[in-house]
This record gives sequence, C-alpha cells and structure tokens, in this order.
Amino acid sequence: MEEQTLTTSHPKKSRRDFLDLLVGASFLGWLVTMAYPIIRYLKPLPQTGASGPTHLTRDESSKLEQNKFVIVPVSGQRVIVLQAPDQQLFAFSAKCTHEGCTITYQPAQSVLWCPCHDGRFDLNGRVLSGPPPQALAKYDARRQPDGSIVISEQKA
Amino acid sequence: MFSSAAFAVDQNSTKPNPKLAEMIAAKDESGKAIMGPEEQTYFNGLNDNLRELLNQAVQKETITRPEHLAALLSLQLRPQKMELVLQNNCLLCHSDSANHSADTLFTLTPAPGATPSHMNLKEVVEDVHFRRGVSCAGCHGGDPTADLGHAHVKEWPEKDRDKNREWIVQFCARCHSDPTFMHQFNPALPTDQLAKFKESPHGRTLLEKHDSRAAQCVSCHGVHGIRPAKDPQSKVYARTVPETCGACHADSKVMAGFTRADGSPLPTTQLAEYRLSVHGQALLGRGDLGAPACNTCHGNHAATPPGIAGVSRSCSLCHSANASLFDGSKHKQAFDRNNWSECAKCHGNHTIAKTNDSMLASGKGSLCGDCHREFAKDNPNCIATADYFRQTITRIDEARNNFSAISEKLAAKGLDVEPISNQLTELTDGLKKSRTHIHSFSRDNFQQVALPAEQAVQNTDALVKKAREEYNSRQVGLAASIGLIGLLMLTIYLKLRRLEKPGE
Amino acid sequence: MTLAGSRMGALSFLNKKPDMNGPGKGGGLLGWLDRRYQLTALTEFLRHKEVPLGSHWMGWYYLGGITLFFFIVQVVTGVLLLMYYQPGETTAYESIRFLTTKVPFGWLIRSIHSWSAHLMIISLVLHMFSTMMLKAYRPPRELTWVSGYLLFLLTLGFGFSGYLLPWNKLAYFATTVGTNIVASVPLLGSWLLQVLRGGQDVTINTLYRFFAGHVVILPLAVVGFIGLHIVFIQRQGMAPPLGAKVAPRGMKFFPSFALRDLLLWLACLMVLLALAVFLPYGPGIPGMDWELGQKADPLAPAYPGIKPEWYFLWEYQLLKEFPPHLFGLEGPQVCLLLIALMFGIWGLIPWLDRRVRRDQPSPAFSDFGWAALLFLTYLTLLAWDIGAGAASGAGDELTALRNIARVCAWWTLGAGALVIVVRYLRYEHRWFLLSGAALLQVTLHGLVGLTYLLAGVISVVLAAVWIVVAHFVGSRTDRRSET
Repeated sequence: MEEQTLTTSHPKKSRRDFLDLLVGASFLGWLVTMAYPIIRYLKPLPQTGASGPTHLTRDESSKLEQNKFVIVPVSGQRVIVLQAPDQQLFAFSAKCTHEGCTITYQPAQSVLWCPCHDGRFDLNGRVLSGPPPQALAKYDARRQPDGSIVISEQKA
Repeated sequence: MFSSAAFAVDQNSTKPNPKLAEMIAAKDESGKAIMGPEEQTYFNGLNDNLRELLNQAVQKETITRPEHLAALLSLQLRPQKMELVLQNNCLLCHSDSANHSADTLFTLTPAPGATPSHMNLKEVVEDVHFRRGVSCAGCHGGDPTADLGHAHVKEWPEKDRDKNREWIVQFCARCHSDPTFMHQFNPALPTDQLAKFKESPHGRTLLEKHDSRAAQCVSCHGVHGIRPAKDPQSKVYARTVPETCGACHADSKVMAGFTRADGSPLPTTQLAEYRLSVHGQALLGRGDLGAPACNTCHGNHAATPPGIAGVSRSCSLCHSANASLFDGSKHKQAFDRNNWSECAKCHGNHTIAKTNDSMLASGKGSLCGDCHREFAKDNPNCIATADYFRQTITRIDEARNNFSAISEKLAAKGLDVEPISNQLTELTDGLKKSRTHIHSFSRDNFQQVALPAEQAVQNTDALVKKAREEYNSRQVGLAASIGLIGLLMLTIYLKLRRLEKPGE
Repeated sequence: MTLAGSRMGALSFLNKKPDMNGPGKGGGLLGWLDRRYQLTALTEFLRHKEVPLGSHWMGWYYLGGITLFFFIVQVVTGVLLLMYYQPGETTAYESIRFLTTKVPFGWLIRSIHSWSAHLMIISLVLHMFSTMMLKAYRPPRELTWVSGYLLFLLTLGFGFSGYLLPWNKLAYFATTVGTNIVASVPLLGSWLLQVLRGGQDVTINTLYRFFAGHVVILPLAVVGFIGLHIVFIQRQGMAPPLGAKVAPRGMKFFPSFALRDLLLWLACLMVLLALAVFLPYGPGIPGMDWELGQKADPLAPAYPGIKPEWYFLWEYQLLKEFPPHLFGLEGPQVCLLLIALMFGIWGLIPWLDRRVRRDQPSPAFSDFGWAALLFLTYLTLLAWDIGAGAASGAGDELTALRNIARVCAWWTLGAGALVIVVRYLRYEHRWFLLSGAALLQVTLHGLVGLTYLLAGVISVVLAAVWIVVAHFVGSRTDRRSET
C-alpha cells in the first residue's frame, strides 16, 4: 500500500486527501448530531424528578392560606388541598365520583362540595349526601419543617 | 348411577335415620335416583344440626316422600335459612304436592296465574319477614311448631280480598305503625308509613273513595317475597321503582277514570317519557343510583305530584347551584308572576332531556325567542344576552372539542400533552360552570365564569402551538441528522470505490 | 487458499508473545502499543481475512453484522435509559413517564430502544434462517450455530423482561399471562414460577427480578456469547457455499467488507431514526406497540385481548389451540412439551442433518426451514387476526374465529405457493414434502374447518408415511428424502 501511494501521481494524491478530509468532516458532523441529543438528555433538569411528591408553589400556598383550599395538579390528576379549621391539611382527588365535576371546599361547613349535583363529602372523603356513589380518593398532604407543603399519592 | 354407599357420612356427624336414608337413596319407577347429583351434594354438605332437623321431620312425617325432600334440597338454601324452613311446619306441609292443591302449594314452579312471589317457595324464603323470624304465623296466625292447626285460615285472608283491599294497609300497619314492636327488628325503620299514606292521593282514593284500584302496601312491596329497598331484587329498589310505579301508571286501563285536580285525565306516558329522559338514561342505562327515580320527586308513601312550587324544590335537591342562580335572577319574579313552574317551564318534567346549547336561541320556534317575543316584548337587550350566551358557550365548546382532538393527535406523535390536558380540564370545568351560570340570566354573573374559561382556551392554544413547534423541530433535527448520515455514507462509498479500484 | 489454510491463519496473532525489542513498526503511540501487543499481527490478520463470495447472494452475510449493530444501539440507549429509570412500585411507571415527557430527547431514546429491539429480533431471525437455508451450520461450524441459537433465546428473554419494566397495565397483564406458562413445566413448574415472579403473583418483586435480568444478567450472557460467536467465526472464517471443495473467490474483509458493513449500519441508523421520530410508539401493529398507557394495577381485573409481543404470538396462539386436557396431561403441558421439542430440534439441526455432514445437498432440511416459517406465519397471523374477525361482523365468537382462520389460511397458502414456485424455478428445488405438510395443515384447519391439532396430526402422519414409503420404494427421487 505504501509503495503504491508513493508511486501515485500528484493530482490523484490531492484528490485522495480531499476525500479523506471529506470523510473526516462528515464523520465529525455525524458525531455532533449523535452527541447533541445525548448531551441534552444528560443535562440535569431544574424541576423535581420523576415521581416523588409534588411541592405546592408559593402561589398555590398563598391561595390555600387565603381560600382555605387550592386545586393543584399531581401527576396529571387534579387534587384539592384544603386546610381544616384546626390547621390540619387534607388532600383529595378533586374529581367528583359522580359526574367528574371539580370539587370545592366549603370552609364554613367543613365539607367538600360538588356544585354539579350538590354532592357533599366529609373530611375523610366519604359521601355525606347527594348522588356521588363513592368516596373521594385520598392523597397525603404534609407540611414540611420549612413551611412548604408536599402532596403525594397515598399508598393503598 | 349413585348407590346409597355414596352417601355414607363421617363417623362424627349425625347419621340419617333409616327412613331418611331410604328417602335419599330412593329411585323412581324407571330406576332413576330421585335426588339429582346437586341435591345429593347439598345433602352431603349439611351440618349436624340440619341433619338432625331432617331426621326429626321424617320421624314426625312432615316430610314423607322423597320427591318432597328433593324439592326442598334443590333450593340450595344457606344453613340459617334451611333451619328456618325445617322448623316451620306450615312450609313443610304446604310444600308437599301430595297434600295440597295448586292454590295453597308452595313450589319452585308456581301454578300459572299465581304471581311469581305469591306461591314461589324460593321467593318466600327470601322474604325479609321470613328471614327475621316473622314467618307464616306472623300474618296468618296459628302455631308453626304444632303438628296440625288449620285454625289460622278461618279469619284471614278474607274471602273477598280481591274486591276490597282497604284492610291491607291496616293489616300491615298493625306492626309497622307500632314503634315499640318495630324496634325489636329494625330501630332505624320509620313507623309513619300509614300516616303518610293516608294523606297521599293513593291513600285517599283507597280509604276515602273506597276505590280498591289504588295502590296500597302490596302493590309496591309484593306479598310473600318482600325484600328491603336496598336489595337489588326488591320491587322498590331504585332501578326497579320506575317499573313498579309504571305497572299501574303506564297502564291506561288501570288509570282510566282517574283525573288531576283540575279534572283533566291522568296521563300514562310518564314512564315512557322518563325512560328517554336524562335521569332515566342515567338510572336505567348507566346504573347511576344517584339519579332520581319516581319517588325522588314524588315521595314514597306520601307519593304526590310536587305542584308548581314544588318542582323547583325537587330539582334543587341535586341541582342546587342552578336553583340558587335562578332564584337570584330576573326570571324568578317573572315566573312567580305568571305562576309558572320554574325548572319544568324550560326543561319539562318527565321528559327532561339532556340540555343542549341550542336551547339558547333567540330565533322563532326557539326556547328563549318564543317566550321573550310574547312576554318580554322583543326586548333587544334580552335577545342580545341570549345570543351572547350562546356564542360564548359554543365558542368554548368548539375550542374544547377541537383541542381534545388535537391533543390526541399530538399525543400519538409522542409529544408531552400533559400541560394541554391540564388546561383542557380547566376548560371543561369552565364550560360546565358557564352553562350553569346561564341560569343567572345576567351577563355579569355569566362572565365571572366564562372569562376564565376563555382564558383557558387561549392558554391551550398557546400550548398547542408550542407542541407543534416542538414537533417541527424534531423533524428538522431528524432531517439534519439523516442528511449528515447520508453525507457520511456518500463519502465512505466514494472512499470504498477508490480503494477497490483495480491497480490500487 | 484452502479451507484448512484459512483456518490456520485465523487468529494466529493471539499466540504471539510480546516482543519488546521486536521490530514494532514506527514510533508514536501505535508503535508503542505494537511493541507490547503485536498490533501488526492483528492488522496482518485483518488484511488477509476474506469473506467467501459464492453463487448465493452476499446480502445474507451482512445480517449478523446488522444484528450486532442493533445490539450496540440497545446497549447505548439502554445505558441512557438507565440513568432515569427507577424500578419500584411508585417510581417505575412514573420515571418512564417523566423520561418521555419531561426529559429532553427522552422520548427519542426510549423510542429508539423499542424500535431497535424489534428490528434486532427481525434481523436476528433473518440471520438465523439464512444460516439455516445456506446450511452454514454444517461441520465444522456446529458450535457457531449453537452459540447463535443461544443468542436467539437470550434475545427473546430480553424482549420478555424489558416489556415489564415500564410497569404499565398492558405489560403487567401480558407478563402475568406469559409467566403463567412456566407453571406447566412438570414437577418444577410452581417452583420455577415463584422464582421467576419472586412470589406467587406478578408483583413489584417480579419487576426487580426482570430488571436485574434485563440490565445485568442477560447483557453479560449475550456479550459473552457474542464474543464466542465472533471468535468461532474468525477462527473458521465464514462458511463458503455448500459443495465448494476449494474456497471460492473471496472479498477482502478489510476494507471492502467492513466498509460495506459500515455503510449498511449507517443506513440502518437512518431508518431507525426516521422510524423513532415519526412513529414514536411503534407502527401500531398488535404486539409492536409501546405506548405507555395506564399504570399497572394488580387489583384491576384483567381485560380480554391481552396479547404478547409479535415474536411470541405463535406460542400464544399454539397454546390457545390446545384443549384443557390431552393424553391425561394438561393441555398447556403438552403444548409446552411440543414447543420444547421444536426448540430442541432447532438447536440440534447441525447433528440431525446427516447428508450435509457429508457435504451433500440436504433438500429435506431446506424444506424443513420453509415448513417452520410457514408454520410460524400461520400461527402468528391467526393471533394477529389481521382484521378478519372485525371485518366479518359476526356477532358470535365461533363464526368470527372461523373467518379469521379462513382469511389467514388464504394468506399463508398464497405465501407458501409463492415460496414453492420461486424455489422450484429459481433454485431448482424438488423436495416440498414438509412445507407441503405445513400447507396441508393450514388448509385442513383454515379452509376445511378441522381443529388445529387434528389438522396437524393428519399432516404430520401423512408426511411421515410418505417418507417411510418413499424410503422403501427407493426410487431415485425418494432416496433424496431419506433424511
């Protein structure tokens, strides 16, 4: 091979060099397109990880303070977080078990209320009155030592 | 073929006495065992107590024939119920076809003409009274433990019981209106049924007009197979109530001659209308026990039409938000002035159809339009408001349907649609609220909930745009990398060709 | 170059002792390495290595390399997925969801991993069948076949264990049904089931076990066997076409074959990327779909229509064709026995094919390969239902099943006829007894309406009788079929 290279004529050699350059350049380009997604993929994300609990944002916390309840998304589900008169926190699925309307909290009576057909639930999620057939799914709501509020799915 | 050896039982358990053993092993004329395999299995599984009771019954000759025994065993009763049957001489005697003619024989296949629950043995043992120990003698008198005693039939049932049914309510009420007596069985059960019944049109027709076509206890609860209302097989179970009421109210022959307070004949179309209504579809179609049946609006023992003022009160039991919005609206006074029933005026009573945005129309032949032309004298403000409601709601609804479809497509393309779904939930919620707030018939009130919904439409739109951009950038990225791979392939191919050139 | 010669030359560099004072070529890093590890020997080996060119299409020689390429893609994407995946009751599903929705390019990595898995199985199966048809398993390459065969089984294990890891509803139920088959193994069944599941039922413990299998045990085993497979091939060279007494013309492995391989790999990468971007959840064919769906719920009732991945469909369908009881055994046990027997025969083909051991053509085994393909095709189509069940619009299940069987039978018969015609005209094959038997079974089941098993028994018995009779009659054509 080496001998052959030596005997080849000059223009041919430069063509070969150019081809080698082209191979190298396109290889480099290919490498970049492969590396880019992987680098992006590996870059740590600012938000919290896959599962784990949902933290209430400052906005949501102040709403909770103000209205005694707030509705937040927890892993794709709407969850109502409420604060009982004794400051205890509760969290339930905000989807009424009857027709799927969004539930609100009535602090005056300490009941969860669905406006669609006047379904009422107590602070255990059990049906007090109205057409809902089942209790509301419960979530776990906790106040952290630093005052932030964390909602997580309750293990059955 | 089964032999008697197959029924040999454990040393520990009570052995069948010779008579019973003989009955169990008996064969009919063709040589076939009278006990089928199921009855034999059931017998083998009986506990000592029941075996002893069977021994006694055979000894006392309340069970004398293998066919009779087979019929009892074929009921496959649970032990507690079998115990009640075996201790009840009335039932034992009245279930033996050798002793009784069809009209007094309890059997699994009642004679044609007998109502299913009337002489059906299976129904009788399911009866709540029977199960709680108020068996035959509780109503018919006599002593179920005595060997024979037909004294019970002398007074009751009365001979002309079909012609005059007024006695039935008093008869049931002997126990059911006595709080002390009922307390032994179910302290939570009310005892005011008769009092309510007397005040109801049913009660007045029966007791004051002495018309025995009117419904009384038995009409709804049955005779021998009475079950509690929460039992799905009960005649007064929520899903069965429309059928039970309709047995009379949907039958024009039965209802012939009955009139409303204003003298017009009572219609018989309620059941058919109810079945098509949103409530009927929910209760009978989807099995939503929260949906109202006849008794939810009309009452049970005091069943009566709710009347004009009562309609809205019945509806507001569930539709409280709509009711309170209506009460605060301008319509409230107008309806009161004209003595219109509030909800039913637009939604109907038994026919209540699933609401539809097209109800909000101002043109001729439309709900809002026709009424307003007549009573609001074409007030342009009202027409404009109705149109505004309709347009806003249609816009939100269309956006929702549109975005749902887009969201599904985007999800199939592998994009993250979670934020879009969250906004869509918000949007759906806002739409529901907007439809409810129509009942305020006020632009300001409506806007309180419609504006957030419209905001959600805009948010969703922005998110959809973002997702589409993401999808485009994916394709651009793909094109770029495919292009580069292609270039690399091309250069390698050229290189290969050069390397393989002969002489190199 | 004779076969023996090429064998001697192969891998001889492995025996070289390090020669620190030797004439290591050049200076720099290469020279430094060369002096220690005799790289020159390696490059010499590569330079002289040749791929035999024969009468058959060169394409078959690339399939092994393509399979290797997909495996490498699996390793790379698998390692990347591992950086976000969290096995666990409350995390497995959520982490995959997070990965595909929130992590930049997470959807792409998962999509490539899934696509590449399916493509790898396709290329592996093609590679295996091409080896089978070209009789490359004949001596001295029996162990290459066996190691490849074991790689095939391990790959199926990869597919099965990887399916459960997202912990979604579909995977959960498919795994429950799939692992249940193990219970039919005689004597050891319930023990094996418990070991596999990590308990009586499919629980999170099963996920941990499958996870360990998928990311540690199977990769180690596969890498080991790939190494062995490649060492075997390098030691013996690639199999030349059957009947060649001297090695045929060769193509230089480097650069000619290697660069062609590289080109093909790049083309595969192109296709893979395009598929992954345009169809991120698979082509939407039953058994080739990886949309995450809902999270697994062990308490939820199983729903009808749970089907495994496409490469397990034939086993799934075969199990369905067995009655609950057969010969005093449970139906699934008999079926499992049959499947084990078929897999056993497949692994032992190099020893069973006696004619090819004498370097003679063995048309019976070519036909056996085609019969196996037709057998698998028909069962897979039946399980797939290819829309015939719904299209028939038949209310009752039995009519729908008959309709499916009929449509699938026509498709299989069409494919079978095409194969036979091409083999007859193009390759001048004259031996079609086994594929004929397979098509007879298809006809009897799909068109005549016999039960699948009865149709199978009739076909097998007829084929056996034919072979025995032909053996005794001993005519010229029949002597060919004596194996």
